[in-house]
Order: sequence, then C-alpha cells, then structure tokens
Amino acid sequence: MSAIEIKDLSFIYSKGTPYQKQALKDVDLSVEEGTVLGVVGATGSGKSTLIQHLNGLIRIQDKKRGSVVVNGLDASKRKERARLRFEVGMVFQYPEYQLFEDTVAKDVAFGPKNMKLSKEEIDLRVRRALELVGLNYEGFAERSPFDLSGGEKRRVAIAGVIAMQPKVLVLDEPVAGLDPVGRRELLDLIGRLRREVSPTVLIVSHNMDDIASVADRVIALKDGEIVADGTPKQIFGDRALVESIGLEVPPAKRVADMLEERGIQLPPQIIDMDELEEALAALLKQKEGIADEAQTAEATCAEEGDMRSQDDSCAVCRKTPDEEGEDV
Amino acid sequence: MAQLVLKDVGYVYALKEGAGLKAIRGLSFSVEKGENIALVGMNGSGKSTLAKLLNGLFVPSSGEVLVDGMSTADEKNTFEIRKRVGMVFQNPDNQTVATIIEDDIAFGPENLGLPGEEIAERVRSSLEAVGMSEFASRTASKLSGGQKQRVAIAGVLAMKPEVLILDEATSMLDPVGRREVLDVVGRLNKEGITVINITHNMEEAALAQRVLVLRKGKLVLDGSPKEVFASSVLGACGLTLPPVAQLANRLSERGFELGAILDENELVEGICRRLK
Amino acid sequence: MFKDVAFGQYYPTRSPVHRLDARVKLLLTLAYVVGMFFIKSYFGFILMAALLVFTVIVARLPILSVLRSVRGVMLIVLITAILNLFLVKDGEVLVHWRFITITSNGVHLTIKMVLRLVLLISGASLLSLTTTPVEIADGLESLMSPLKLIKVPVRDIAMIMSIALRFIPTLFEETNKLIAAQKARGAAFDSGSLFARIRAMVSVLIPLIVNSFRRADELAFAMDARCYNATDKRTKYKRMTLRFADLIAALLVLGTIVVVLLDRYYFASVGIYMDKLIFGGLV
Repeated sequence: MSAIEIKDLSFIYSKGTPYQKQALKDVDLSVEEGTVLGVVGATGSGKSTLIQHLNGLIRIQDKKRGSVVVNGLDASKRKERARLRFEVGMVFQYPEYQLFEDTVAKDVAFGPKNMKLSKEEIDLRVRRALELVGLNYEGFAERSPFDLSGGEKRRVAIAGVIAMQPKVLVLDEPVAGLDPVGRRELLDLIGRLRREVSPTVLIVSHNMDDIASVADRVIALKDGEIVADGTPKQIFGDRALVESIGLEVPPAKRVADMLEERGIQLPPQIIDMDELEEALAALLKQKEGIADEAQTAEATCAEEGDMRSQDDSCAVCRKTPDEEGEDV
Repeated sequence: MAQLVLKDVGYVYALKEGAGLKAIRGLSFSVEKGENIALVGMNGSGKSTLAKLLNGLFVPSSGEVLVDGMSTADEKNTFEIRKRVGMVFQNPDNQTVATIIEDDIAFGPENLGLPGEEIAERVRSSLEAVGMSEFASRTASKLSGGQKQRVAIAGVLAMKPEVLILDEATSMLDPVGRREVLDVVGRLNKEGITVINITHNMEEAALAQRVLVLRKGKLVLDGSPKEVFASSVLGACGLTLPPVAQLANRLSERGFELGAILDENELVEGICRRLK
Repeated sequence: MFKDVAFGQYYPTRSPVHRLDARVKLLLTLAYVVGMFFIKSYFGFILMAALLVFTVIVARLPILSVLRSVRGVMLIVLITAILNLFLVKDGEVLVHWRFITITSNGVHLTIKMVLRLVLLISGASLLSLTTTPVEIADGLESLMSPLKLIKVPVRDIAMIMSIALRFIPTLFEETNKLIAAQKARGAAFDSGSLFARIRAMVSVLIPLIVNSFRRADELAFAMDARCYNATDKRTKYKRMTLRFADLIAALLVLGTIVVVLLDRYYFASVGIYMDKLIFGGLV
C-alpha cells in the first residue's frame, strides 16, 4: 500500500513579486508504507517545501493539477487536512527550541490534547512516547524541559510528536548539532520508532552517511525537481550524480573510488564502511590464500592483470606480472 | 614563554543555594604561537567554558590563564587579551551586530577606536581573507550558514588577532559550509595565526596538529591526532573515531596492519601496500 | 502570519536616496510625518503622494515592497476608518438607516484619514527600506549627541536600537518556524475555541522569549569578545558627511511641506479650488 502519493506538485513562493521563486516543479512521488525514505538536496532545493505539503502546513497552490494524498487523506480537502496534521508527525530542525510547557509531560501532551483525546489516553500516550525515546517516565515527567541537556531536550521534542502516533514520521536534520554518541543513539531511535509507531519515515539530511545508514530509498531534489530516485546504493554509488546535486559522497564511497583508481577492484556501489571492510578483508584473504597455497605465478598474474585493466596507477599493481610472480 | 598558558585552572558555575558546578578542574597546558589545536569532548565536557576562559569572557575560579604573559584575571588586560584572542561562536545568527556585512566587520575595529581609514582597510582585507569581498554591502541574513561564519571570522580578523578560537563554529553547518569554514581557517593557520578549534567532530580533530581531549572538565588526552586516536579512553570520553580511522582499526584487526590512520589518503596508501 | 512585515527590511539598491545622510533622512521623515497632519485638501495629499512616489522611483524600490508595509496595519486602518465613518455626524446626510448615519463630511474625513495613515506608514517604511539599521542608529546617535552633555548614554541607546532593528528579521523568521512546528502538533491558531487559540499563541510566545534570552546571552558574549566598550573613543567606520544631494532632498521635502502649510493657513481657497478642479462635483 502506498502511504504517500504526490502528483504534479508545484509551488512558487512570492508569486507575482520580484522575489518569485519556484520551490517545487511537477513533483511526482509515491512512497510505500514501511519505507524509510531519505530526502537529500542542497539548501534551497525544495526539500522543506515538499515535506511541509505532507501535513498541510503548506497548501497546494494549484489544486486542479497537483495533489497530495497521505494514507488516503487528501491534503486539498479542508476536513481531511485537519486529520493530516496528526497522521503526519513532523520533527523540525532543532526541535528542542519549540518546547514551552513547564513540565516534560505537559509538553509531550500538547499534541494529543490538540487531538482532543481522553485524559487517560493522553496519559498513556505521553508515558509510552517518553519511554520510546528512551526517557524514563518517572524520572522526567515532572521536570522542566528547560533544565534538561541538549540531547534530552531533543528527545522530549521528538516524544511530543510521537505521542500523536503519526503513521508517517518526517524528521528534518534530526542529528544536527549532536555529538558522536548522541548522533548514534538518535539514529538507533529512528529504527525503533519505525518498528513501534510510524511505519513510514522520511528523513531530510545533508549528511549522506546518516542517510545511507538508515534509508531504504533515497530521492534527491535539485531546483525543486526530483532528479534521482533509487536505493542508497544507486544514488550514493554514482559519484557524478551526487556531485551534480551539490552534495558530498559518503566517505566509504570516496575511499572505494580512490582504491579503484589505484587499481584495487572492489564490488560495485560500495557506500558504507561495513561493506568496504568486508570487501577488503575478502581481497586480503584471497591474496593470502593464494600465497599460502603457493599457487602458480600464472594464476596470480592473470588475476592481477585483470585489476590492472581497470587502471594501473596503484603502486601495488604497477609491477610487471613477472615481478608479481616473484612476490608470490 | 608560550602564547597561552593555563596553570591549574578551575571554573565553578554558581548554582542556586550556594551550590556550584565544577565545569573545569585543575587544567594545565600551554599553547605555542602558530599551533593548530583541536579541543574535543562530548557535550557537557566543559569545552565551551574553557573557550570563554581563554579570552577573559570568564575569569578562572582558581589558577590562572595567561595570554602572552598577561593574566585574564586582571581587568587592565581584558581588552588587550580580547584583541589578541578572537573568537567565533556556534550560532551564526547570534554574533552579527549589524545588518550590513561591512558594518558588522567594522564593529571590532570601531570598538578599538581606530581611525576611519584604518577601519576601511581592515574591513577590506578581512573580507578578502575569507573570500567574501563581493558581499561587503549586502545583508547578512540572506547568506548561507557557511558564508555567515566566514563573515564572523572576518569580523574577528579585523581586530588582527594572534589566536583564533572556534567555539563549535561548524556544528550548525552543512558539509559544504563546514568545508568552506575549515578551508579558511586552515589558510589562516598557515599564515601564522594560532587556531584552537573546539569541536566534537573527529574528522576536524584529524586535521589539527594537536588534539586536547576534555572529559568532565579535566584534560584526559593531549597529543597528536594519531596518538589520541590510538588511545583506549576515547570511547569513555563520548567520542568516536572518524569513519576512516574506524575502518582502519577494523581492517587492522583483520590482518591489514595499517597502524594509525588519519585521512583517506593514508588509508588508501596503507591498503594498497598490504594488498600487494 | 508575519510574512508581510517589511519593517526593518533594508532593501539595498545603492540609489541616491540610499546614499543620503541618515540624519537628513531621519529629520526629513520626521518633517514628512508631522507635515502629514497639516494636510487639509486632497490637493495636499496628492502633493505628498507625488513626493512619496518620486522618492520610491529615485530609490529604485519595487512599489510592492512599500505597499507591503501598509498591508501589515491595514486591519487597524480599516477599523478606524469604519468608526470614523459612523461617528462623524455633521455635514450633508447621505445615508440614514436606523442608528446609522453617514454624512458627506464623514466620508471625506474617512477618506482623508485612510490616505493620511497609508502615506504615513509608507513614508516611514521608506526610511527603513533605504537606510540600514546601523545608519539609523548612527544618525540618531549623532542627532542626540547634545544629550551626552547631560550624561545620557547615547551610544548605548543607539547600539540597542541598531541591534533591535538587526534582529527583527531574525525574530520573524523564528516566529514563522515556531508557528509551523506547533501547527504540526495540532496547535489551533485560526480555528477552535478562544482557549485553544490562546494556548496556541502561548506555545509560540514562550519558546520565542526563551530563545531570545539565549540569543541575547550569546550576542553579549560575541560583542564582549569583540572588545565592545574597550574605549570611550569608539570610532566610526562610515563617517557622516552632508553632501549636495542632502541639500536637494531637504529642499524638496521641506518645499512640499511649505506648500502644504500655505495651503492650510494662508491660501485655503487654492486647495479647495484645486480639489474642485480635479474632482469636480465630488468634493
């Protein structure tokens, strides 16, 4: 089942003024339920305009052409748009700066209260949301959100969105500004939220490594258009594509490319460090295996020759087959 | 004498009811002119407090901080010290005082009471040093994060500092902005300005000559990036190695014998050498 | 919600108007504002409007940017206008229905009041569109400098104003972000009960205030780090000098105001004559 259906969506800011800017142009997007979708693009590429259409924060400009439907709710219809607010949970960048109540529990309850749920249901949801983001209810519920650490504040803010139990969760730069440990914890949290609350997750980020580690599918925006759509491997494995969008390739891909330039042949489309590690370990084993078994120089040369056919600039492989034979 | 000297420095935040929070404890180290230092630690380790101690924004509760031999505790030295030790902060929006970029750059020199022509010259050369000359008469609010931070650096350069402190100045930037800022800072360091980059980004730490690691207000490691990255206590400090160094370690465990690795070039060299 | 606030939004075009001395612009704006209250005839309004349009053209501003500042206060203008329309009872009665009486004088007064307010606000916004906050603050500081003699901290006051103006766009941007974030949590800004609306407003105002304190704190550190108050002899990057253009501008504005004053006090018949000439029987 598709959770998000966007058709022919365009949006122009400050229409009819000198500041006019086309933020989205004929965007078509269909996202299956259960997907973690990474949304990438340079600043000003239209990412935030796109995501704010999902919960009706930004109205569809041309309703005759464009449409946004999330879990069957049509954003162009007034009544359905109101329900959409709670169907799509949106965690903005630096969400900790939106906390306002005097206790953590009250702040998390803001969303559920706006949904007009019963008091019991609200309490239940607040409790569950706090536990989900890893904050002990008894320990945090009555504390002031303003006295918490930065990382805790961010969790409270996320809990405030989770408490609405949205079916689609949108996170804009969720790990910005966190230290390495906080970053890893939050990325782990996203996996948990997806399993327990919101099956469909959209993550907007500038950090390709983070996207590569959590997303099943990636769309790339440039000047308001979707210019690439595929698995992280397809997108990040294509250096020319990534650079044309104005982004950086993940470090693993960068290293893999450098190695290939030096003539070390790796499986195609390596985008994370684990894959790179496995591939290199396999190569080493293969090489040592060959050495151990004292295979004929011929076989090795054929193998090395193969590598060289890609590019022979690697110091390792620059030797003639004869020299390599001696090595073995 | 070293440019910056910290002698057994402690700093206590006063909390309510007479209680205090020890943010910095028994810190001693010194910095020579022209060094490129990364000061790392997890959030709450005392990094930013330490930064503010280095230019007299905070005065140590115990011990002393000397800048070119001048103690920050002596009010007579305050402005001389701040002139020498410039500081760029985390949030680019909260450190510009003026709407127009050149006016903002001029803020420091104006405060120093320099003559108008001298200020104009400094505004020009500072903007040039960060590659923002063409933006002189524009408004700062329309810039990207990286550009805003370059303007903030120019604002500091206009005071002709000898030390540049970056207090998590890249943490709110996207990768492109981060690169812009680091390039500018690297160039300034080559021209002789001492750089102290306070960060929790370990890739930035790998770019420094010397890394200081803070944990709970104490200095736990002080050495070259290679020495620090090889230390077993890094994890306990809430820090993780840069992805490249992590990969290198894991490959070493699997027979690659790579040793300490800081950047992608070293890693590639090491792997090529081993896969001979 | 706060999208159309032009106040504090400098619009750089480097036009002759932009390059005028800030002190001159401040005084002329003041003169324009005061002069506005002396206008009696439509002819006077046409003169002032012509001056305004002329300035906008010379300043190379898009007319929209000026009108946008009016849009922000349109509601207030309309409410006052409607009250005015019903409360003025003298003159020829045009409409009389139950307790509602609209008179010709009422109509004229209302039209003139709306004109006055619109011209006032657009004129004042011209100042902020063509003058950077720093220039405004410097100009005020210079104009107020005699007060230094009686120990008024003129420099600090000017600095405070300059910073306030500098942060207006930042705060509006932040307000918009907060509104979006709280709307995403179902906050009811424009629907629901009064209580729900107040709650929604609170959910924006509190973080806005908390964040502003944080900003102020950080800004104070940043200013201290750049040696604010290092010396009493703080110098100026851009020194203000009066030039020929300033004289021309002054003559133009003051000339218009003189005509307005003459029209009111000495040659009232001229204004009435011009009004009749232009609008015929309508006046």
